[in-house]
Amino acid sequence: MAESYNHDVWTEKYRPKKFEDMVGQEEIIKRVKALTNSMNIPHLLLAGPAGTGKSTIALIIVKELFGESWRENYLELNASDERGIDVVRQKVKDFARTKAIGDVPFKIIFLDEADALTREAQQALRRTMENYTSTCRFILSCNYSSKILDPIQSRAVVFRFQLLEKKDIKKRIDIISKNEGLSITPDAFDVLYESSEGDCRRVINLLQATASISPNITPDLVNTIVSKAKPSDIKIVLDYALSGDFINAREKLLDIMLKESISGQDVIKAIQKEVWNLPIDNKLKVRLTEKTGEAEFRLVEGSDEFIQLEALLASFILAGQGGE
Amino acid sequence: MIDINNIPWCEKYRAKKIEDIKGQELAIDKVKMFLRTFPQKKAVILHGPPGTGKTSLAYAIAYENDSEILELNASDLRNKDKISQIIGPATQQRSLFKKSKIILVDEVDGISTIKDRGGIGELLFILERSSFPVIITANDIWQKKFNLLRKKAEIISLKEVEYKVIKDILNQVCEKENHAVSGEIITSIAIKSRGDIRAALNDLQLLSKMDSPELLIEAGERNKEQSIFTSLQYVFKNAQIDTKMLKIFDETNMPIDEIFLWIEENIPLEYKGTELAKAFNALSMADVFRGRIRRQRHWRFMVYEYFLLGPAIASVKDYNRTGWTSYRKPSRILKIWLQNQRSAKKKSICIKYAKHTHISTKTAMKDFLLLKIILQENNLRKMLKLNEEEIAYLDKPIIS
Repeated sequence: MAESYNHDVWTEKYRPKKFEDMVGQEEIIKRVKALTNSMNIPHLLLAGPAGTGKSTIALIIVKELFGESWRENYLELNASDERGIDVVRQKVKDFARTKAIGDVPFKIIFLDEADALTREAQQALRRTMENYTSTCRFILSCNYSSKILDPIQSRAVVFRFQLLEKKDIKKRIDIISKNEGLSITPDAFDVLYESSEGDCRRVINLLQATASISPNITPDLVNTIVSKAKPSDIKIVLDYALSGDFINAREKLLDIMLKESISGQDVIKAIQKEVWNLPIDNKLKVRLTEKTGEAEFRLVEGSDEFIQLEALLASFILAGQGGE
Repeated sequence: MIDINNIPWCEKYRAKKIEDIKGQELAIDKVKMFLRTFPQKKAVILHGPPGTGKTSLAYAIAYENDSEILELNASDLRNKDKISQIIGPATQQRSLFKKSKIILVDEVDGISTIKDRGGIGELLFILERSSFPVIITANDIWQKKFNLLRKKAEIISLKEVEYKVIKDILNQVCEKENHAVSGEIITSIAIKSRGDIRAALNDLQLLSKMDSPELLIEAGERNKEQSIFTSLQYVFKNAQIDTKMLKIFDETNMPIDEIFLWIEENIPLEYKGTELAKAFNALSMADVFRGRIRRQRHWRFMVYEYFLLGPAIASVKDYNRTGWTSYRKPSRILKIWLQNQRSAKKKSICIKYAKHTHISTKTAMKDFLLLKIILQENNLRKMLKLNEEEIAYLDKPIIS
């Protein structure tokens, strides 16, 4: 089914369809292509930042392997969306029950964001991978391979994706720009690139949103969109805290976290960046950054996001009073 | 006619097989052993709090052994004549259809010494003569009237079901009923049920019929609140540390996760400035220990957990507090629930978008403000098959 929408979300419309279309990651592409050509791939673990081509390469692999019937032989799951490992297992089981259609003797399961699984869930996943290894190959993707259990890593070939270079992203943007009849000034591209932190998917999203206003992409226009799409500022929470109003600070914090669907770790990241701009004594900033680091560590360990953030806010209250 | 929607979920999803009974492995083994060695002992008493699976266990074990169940429950009149009339002959006859029979005397604590005079005596008499195993269930078997019964039967205790097990059960039921309920709410129901699966399922079913969960949180919470209020007051007001503080929260009989929520909600109502920071520091350390207990199953850490919640929080101040603070019920979980309700459309849009673009719903939710601009285009809305409500949501200006 070669459906090509004239109107589509650009991240899909311009998603590379062949290995040759991909930008960056040359070494990885070469090796994955060789594996795919042999028609017998091992389990793969794709590690790397968002928007660097992990899902894209997985899709290319299945299309190369299965051709027209790729949809029947491919199951895409997202670990951060599925309700627990049992759901994942059940879906894998249902999918793996029937034989692959076509010449390739296995099906492919793509488990995105596998690092969202707990250790226990990963143990279960490992067993599932073993049980179905004769009929299925797994492609796992994650941001940090360190969060994936060693036994899983040792059963898979690991590929580490690098953040795309500016020139690589430029190549993709040029193609889109030409196709959609846009004019993008070099400055505007710089703004697009920088506000997306090298995440190719975000660059393209930002470009499409900007282009929905005008085909002449200028830095100002991009900036307008960026500020429109900017999540509420965490600074307002800190302002409340520094002024000594804990109740409102935490109210606002919960509000932002819920409305913007951001995690505790995103909040900590924003706070850590904000601390240096606060109107307080530098020594206090040092102390607060230490506290922020400790809170982030605890969150990574699996503590209660909200309690840890509240404790952190409480130390901002102290700082606001010039205390300890 | 029975409307399938009106069957209580606790009946609809009653465990049918042994594998369906969760969190009672030890009891199951003991019952199996009892049946294997029958008639060494004529009867077992399944003993434990409500909703832990006593009756289900009896039925499941009968199912597994291909036995017929002959049941007497609390609604039967239990006088001497009635019991001997029902149980007496049955104990001597073989089952017509099944391999064997099991006699189930459900909720034996319901036998009144006055109204059902002689009932217990007859039961004992029958135990002696029965050629089939007898299973008795009871909430409280330590009452005096059961002295003799306890000697004749083996007592098997069922413990309160762990809240995580209840969570799993609730999630399974939600899935079967096709109800999306947020994890936070499931957790709070599971915690609130205090090990009672039936209560948890009842609450869940009630919730599924309501638009707002507030009523649920009101339901049957009064006693527990009383005791958490007094405990909070004791810790928050007193500056002197005493041994009572060490176990004060343990003794509220409230699940620990709920205690955390209460303390978290109320610290800022009592403390300001340095005291506030210290109190939250103690609470956050208690939370760290809670996590360690959970991950490492190292239960001894509970000592520190309770220490940090009690004495450590009390010690943040130098002098006793006077005056009245009106403590509030935890509101965080409710707020999360309400927000989830409000953003249901946002979520359904993101699910469609995420599936189309091979990303997670969570990522789509995070990028929503940008998506909102991109999805102004009508053709894209059509392609993603957004419905009218979702389109209305996209067109709505952001209220903040």
